[in-house]
Amino acid sequence: MEMRFEKYIAYPIGLLVALLIFSAILLVMGFNPISSLETIFYGSFGTIFSASETFVRVTPLLLSALAFLIGFKARFLNVGVEGQLHMGALTAYLVASQMEGLPGGSSVPLIALASFIGGVAWLAIPLLLKIKLEINEIFPTVAMNFIAMLIISWLCTGPIKDPNALNPQTKTIPEATWLPLLIPRTRLHVGIIFAFFLAFLMYLILYKTVLGYEIRAVGLSSKAAKHGGINLSKNIISAGLLSGGLAGLAGMAEVAGTNHFLIVGFSPGFGYQGIAIAALGGFHPIGVLFASIFFSVLLIGGETMQRGVGVPIDMIYILQAVLVLSVLIVQRWITVRR
Amino acid sequence: MIEILTAILSGSVVLATPILFSALGEIYDERAGVLNLGIEATMSLTAFVSLWISYSSGSYLVGTLAAILVGGLVALIHSFACVTIGINQLISGLLILTLADGIANFSYRNLSASTTLIIEPLKAINIPVLSQIPVLGPILFQHNIFVYLAFLFAIILGYILYKTTWGLKIRGVGENPEACDAAGMNVNRIRHLCVILSGVMAGLGGASLTLGYIGLYDRGIAAGRGWIAIIVVIFSRWSPYRAILGSLIFGIGYSVASNLIGIGAGTSYHFLLMLPYIIAIIVISFTFKRTKGPSALTVPYKRK
Repeated sequence: MEMRFEKYIAYPIGLLVALLIFSAILLVMGFNPISSLETIFYGSFGTIFSASETFVRVTPLLLSALAFLIGFKARFLNVGVEGQLHMGALTAYLVASQMEGLPGGSSVPLIALASFIGGVAWLAIPLLLKIKLEINEIFPTVAMNFIAMLIISWLCTGPIKDPNALNPQTKTIPEATWLPLLIPRTRLHVGIIFAFFLAFLMYLILYKTVLGYEIRAVGLSSKAAKHGGINLSKNIISAGLLSGGLAGLAGMAEVAGTNHFLIVGFSPGFGYQGIAIAALGGFHPIGVLFASIFFSVLLIGGETMQRGVGVPIDMIYILQAVLVLSVLIVQRWITVRR
Repeated sequence: MIEILTAILSGSVVLATPILFSALGEIYDERAGVLNLGIEATMSLTAFVSLWISYSSGSYLVGTLAAILVGGLVALIHSFACVTIGINQLISGLLILTLADGIANFSYRNLSASTTLIIEPLKAINIPVLSQIPVLGPILFQHNIFVYLAFLFAIILGYILYKTTWGLKIRGVGENPEACDAAGMNVNRIRHLCVILSGVMAGLGGASLTLGYIGLYDRGIAAGRGWIAIIVVIFSRWSPYRAILGSLIFGIGYSVASNLIGIGAGTSYHFLLMLPYIIAIIVISFTFKRTKGPSALTVPYKRK
């Protein structure tokens, strides 16, 4: 139990450090830190609509973080979640746009399958290189991110661009393919329920099944796992497929749930934020769930802060990085000193 | 035809420069056993800093020094987190990425509200006699100071790594820290210095991008060059000399893309911009199998 306490005490300390640095920078730049924080809180929870927007954002963040998490558990660092998310969004759009006239709701499983496959397909090359040639996955996945983003911006400015739109975006997908709303007159769709469910499912898989046990064993020590008769490739492939698939679903949430079309820059780096969220959540699915809500509060509140107080949203990214770094440093420092 | 070819090759030397600077720093860093994944954003940040300080001070030298300083400071955060404290190097590097990009874009947005940050890129220095050689002259000897510095640094850093005691210590610390500690070396101090060097070199890389080539800043200005630099490190099998070749290969990729976009080649420019990344995946696939990095890479060292 003592270990638990030390793990958690790092959070308030990290938050304090992050808030101090946040305030110091804002003071130097001539902004008021207190009113900025108030705006962040009001902007993310002040009204039903802003709270709904916060939870709309949780879905892609949580799914991206879970995607990174499952790979990380098998020591497969999928830095390519961003690219897989883009490809999942693309395949979701392509399938959904062909579904004019289908009865409402029946299309959702098909779109989900398409986005899952899209995400997995984009991870296939790095995964193959890892399994067949023992090539570190970090660099191929990063390169695939850049390629995915270029493909999306090519498609959205050319072949699938809505000719009537000013922005580089596609036409709206048929209304029957939209994810149902949870609260009318908001954008909060059922994706959030699926995301929460998947976090819980991830917890069950990781800690209550043989597959999860093996994946964690591979991650802790591939040598020991191999010695214990665990098939390394099989488990890395399983973790990789889940990782790419979850990233693809995050893309689907944005297309079929939030926006209903594909637009260049629809993801403000969800895939990269997922890495920080997974770390903040202690690489545990339930911790990650809470961390993604907290990140979403900061991001949605930060957008209000940018509009209202004029503090650029990038301040939020600084705050997030400082927070996660401080938490990790304090956690590590306490464990080593014992 | 020959003009286009000369332009492409000359451009590839210019475009190899930021990659080479960053790759050289990363080689030292990884040789000592630390991986710095934050290079990409460090380059963006220092590209901004060098532009801003050069613009406001009127001196490119001051701007470059500021970039070096900021690059070193960012790397210091990384080395504190993973050398002193010992958190996961990969996660720390990825967080540094968010942090440095955040600082760069935050400062730029605050500043660009009042000023338009644009400077004239550094003028080329033509090397006497050599620059007059047809074809070869324009390709190799008509460049700005950063280009010459990068290639000079590759040779100096290669010499230090292979021919001096410092180099021996750095390589030792990355291969067998326990033995180095037993021999009386301060493992973590050497690692700190090498991590800071990686930031400093990424700072030169960033400065060479804005001051030597682009002349202005935009979000994500490094455009993958930092990642490419780390791939060059692997391609060069951790040798500063081979890093010259590695960065030139990617320089050609970037240069072909920008020259073909420039003359309005038929294909969509998106595909040309993919070129460096496609080269990267091919290069990794063919070189990774045969290469083995420093044994203690990404393993924190703790005295028993």
